[in-house]
Amino acid sequence: MSPRWRNRILGGLAIAVVGAAIYFPILKRRVQRAARLQQQSEEQARRELTLATPVSPGQPRVKSVLFWASSAEDGSLAPTTVELPLSNEPMLRAKQVLNTLLAGPVDAELRTLPPDAALLEFYLLPDGTGIADFSEALATSIPSGIQSEQLAADSIARTLEANVSQVQRLRILIHGQETETLAGHLDLTGTFVVNTKPSQAPGKTPLAPPTAGAAIPGNNAPAADKPPTSGAKERP
Amino acid sequence: MRESDLVLEYAVQARRALEAKGFQVRLTRQGNDNPSFDDRSAMANAQRGTVFVTLHVSSTGSPGTVRVYTMSDFPAAPNATGLIPWDRAQAPFLELSHRLGDLVQGQLTLQFKGSPNTAQPATVRQLRTTAAPAIAVEVSSILVEDPAELARMGTGITDAIARGVAAFRPIYDASPVPGAVP
Repeated sequence: MSPRWRNRILGGLAIAVVGAAIYFPILKRRVQRAARLQQQSEEQARRELTLATPVSPGQPRVKSVLFWASSAEDGSLAPTTVELPLSNEPMLRAKQVLNTLLAGPVDAELRTLPPDAALLEFYLLPDGTGIADFSEALATSIPSGIQSEQLAADSIARTLEANVSQVQRLRILIHGQETETLAGHLDLTGTFVVNTKPSQAPGKTPLAPPTAGAAIPGNNAPAADKPPTSGAKERP
Repeated sequence: MRESDLVLEYAVQARRALEAKGFQVRLTRQGNDNPSFDDRSAMANAQRGTVFVTLHVSSTGSPGTVRVYTMSDFPAAPNATGLIPWDRAQAPFLELSHRLGDLVQGQLTLQFKGSPNTAQPATVRQLRTTAAPAIAVEVSSILVEDPAELARMGTGITDAIARGVAAFRPIYDASPVPGAVP
């Protein structure tokens, strides 16, 4: 090969390398954007399949407060006000606010619930106990850990407290079943305090006897006299 | 590195640090066995003068921070028989648990900047059935770029736990009845 051709080939290769170096970051961005769009469309498809809650277009839009993670990244929640056409019927209203909570905030980093989780059903018992039945993804997709699991339960409880006054306490089911924990840490066998209005204080509800397990000797401390704080948990 | 292996490593280090301060220590697991929550509580509840520490590594939170949790307030059952129902075993110990939690968290925050100043309430399943001052310690996070960093945190974490438990000892000893802070 003559030196002239060798130089031409080397020059061509150099141009190809420079071109690739310029094009690669652009290609990477496009792939990432496409992946994001695909993820969003999959999430949207899942929601359309599971989201049977009708919106209430005839209802006037009201200011609703939803609790997602605080941007301070300190494990706390922050209220966000959004205008929603909420139903006056408590169960439907609860479904509407929880579905909005599941849809997530504008900043996806502040999510408290996994994007693929869905609310399957919401029931409200006459004693004020709300039962939220979520898809398995709530348990399987949530980051495992005390902080993330507690934040998820607190965001649900506080959002209900702010928007559906009839819900006094909350029980969380996973795919219709009571589970021991959310993702290995947070206790789901009891109910979470939602609303601590004095007229219907959860601490004054009759306590069921223990259903399982042995008993151990000891004394009872005055914890029963304390009103539970928001986000605290009580046994059924 | 698996979370369970890392936590076991922390537990072994914590045992050494606590034994160095004169405490007897029992681990609720020795290897990759996975005792149930009730099995672990039963082991702790069978002892007297026990404190219970459960260790975790999260997959969220600010890397390099450590949080202590105590059980959220929940009502104790009516005391007609003098027995504590199993599923409310932690209720009489909540106040002592909060004090232990704050002491351990204080020590951890000295070591790991950005950690909270006091223990946080959480409805941790493991704590609910434990009839002793009980805390959960959670390290953030398993998603650190260098997994060796988590292993290096072990000494600081376990020394802080040992110092916190040692500071709690006189408070616990002065408590005449389990669960009643004088």
